Amino acid sequence: MTISPKMRTRMTIFWMLLPTFLILIGFYLFPTLYNLELSFTDITLLKLKKGGDFVGATNYSEFLTSSTFRDIAINTVFWLTAISVTVRIVLGLLFALLLNSKFLKSMRLTTIARLMLLVPWATPPVVAVIAWRWLLDPTYGPINSWLLSSGLISDPIAFTATLSTVWPAIITIIVWNTTPLIGVSLLAALQTIPEDLNEAAAIDGATRWQQFRFITLPYLMPTISVLTLMSVIWTFNNFVYVWLTTGAGPGTFTNVLATEVYMKAFIDLRIGYSAAIGVTMAVVMAFFGAMYFRYFGLTDMQDKVG
Amino acid sequence: MRTRSVNPVANIIENGALLIAFVVFAVFLLGPAFYVFKGSFENLSVSLISSDGGWTLNNYISLFQSGYFIYVVNSLVVCITATAMACTISLFCAYCLSRFRFKGRGFVFAAIMGGQFFPWIILVNPIFIVFARSGLINSQIGLILCYTAFITPFTIYLMVGYLTTIPKSLDEAAIVDGASRFTVVTKIILPIMWPGMVAAGTFGFLQSWSEYLLALALITDNAKKTIPLGLYQYFGDVQVDWGAVMAGSVVATVPTLLLFLPLQRKLVSGLTAGATK
Repeated sequence: MTISPKMRTRMTIFWMLLPTFLILIGFYLFPTLYNLELSFTDITLLKLKKGGDFVGATNYSEFLTSSTFRDIAINTVFWLTAISVTVRIVLGLLFALLLNSKFLKSMRLTTIARLMLLVPWATPPVVAVIAWRWLLDPTYGPINSWLLSSGLISDPIAFTATLSTVWPAIITIIVWNTTPLIGVSLLAALQTIPEDLNEAAAIDGATRWQQFRFITLPYLMPTISVLTLMSVIWTFNNFVYVWLTTGAGPGTFTNVLATEVYMKAFIDLRIGYSAAIGVTMAVVMAFFGAMYFRYFGLTDMQDKVG
Repeated sequence: MRTRSVNPVANIIENGALLIAFVVFAVFLLGPAFYVFKGSFENLSVSLISSDGGWTLNNYISLFQSGYFIYVVNSLVVCITATAMACTISLFCAYCLSRFRFKGRGFVFAAIMGGQFFPWIILVNPIFIVFARSGLINSQIGLILCYTAFITPFTIYLMVGYLTTIPKSLDEAAIVDGASRFTVVTKIILPIMWPGMVAAGTFGFLQSWSEYLLALALITDNAKKTIPLGLYQYFGDVQVDWGAVMAGSVVATVPTLLLFLPLQRKLVSGLTAGATK
């Protein structure tokens, strides 16, 4: 029996794609659906073997009406996501503009700057948290010893244990670790702007601000949008910075959705309840994901391969 | 050709301001890393509160005597295996996506783009339960499977980009000569796209090297812990063994720095390629 060439091609495609499909189904699709199922049960870590009983939407109603929900939502949306993404986009933009300025270019600082950006960028988040916990440490930390010796404060500040400084501290760590990506991407985009556009505008009497506002910014806008959306999705779900910096503390002051999912599942052992929080997060993220797809996602990859 | 006269004093002030801004950025970016590096060579014994200065290698020596070596080995084993698996799987998938049109191609694209941003915090619970039931908790195989799945979407994405630069006529010539598609991929495509494989592999390795959440949920046995988990062993309940933590941090970061150096530009163009058109 001979196999037709068309059939052969089909077989080839099947075998080449099979491992990817297994991964997508086994580690993305199935867990997502299973998580949905878990969220309607009262399963706990202690009765894993037996499984949980169906409890309807009680997990959802308990979470959404719980006294902590409001704080967790504000922490996640405002502090963790909105503030930290805004700060890193603004800082990244400033840094890119700075490196693209004629003076710094003429001093040949761009290569050095790229290497500088590499250091925080290549630092694993775990180490980034350690570095800043060390800097901010009340007993040994250099920042406290400067502030003390300059007379600005009389007692060391425990930055990560004080309510007024704990969020700024966490955001500083995230910004330090993630701004380089933004900076380098925006710098790359800046360098694609034709030089003569600005020159022509200058001859026509445009001020520096006008050149930035009406030439540079519109040129950068697509890149800024992608970076913002990517950062929002990535930060909203982020667990590691808050968990390692404060463990959601002091108390539960810096608790966010991701740390709540982890604590409910692995400390309170209530997997079903934790799954419901996860599904809530997924719904919010699906919205941002849809936006990403709508504007950039699929078109980008299909443009590449046709 | 200037239409406005430039005031030399204003110019000096402006350039000075730019330079100061540059230095401020430099201190912000490099300061934390510098202090960790410096701290890792200092005498910072927990029992002696004063840091009486002096350079020493004691932090590194005590770090490796306390069993940090195991974490390094575990990280290397898990990350290298996962990267190799992800690269192999991605190569064939990316080849299919760039060479064939078939039903479900759009779905695979969507899944790969979505997978890059998939929030793993949501998948920790179901994966934990499945792994607990099948005995994959505290198993390196379990962690390797997770990391393979975790890095595959982006490695596919990078490789598809690279493959489209390789002309299809190359494979067709080989097919006419009677080669099978698998031979084409392994004997013709692979040697050409080696640089793309290395870039994708480096990226995958870096991703898994710094992964914390899955390791935290799936590994509790000290002998199986990876570097990110191991580092936090030194944060005691009351006191932190800062000397060991700093030395451990340097050990964890040096490989990523070295690998990042050649990869930087590629990643940027990969990440924002769609936007700058």
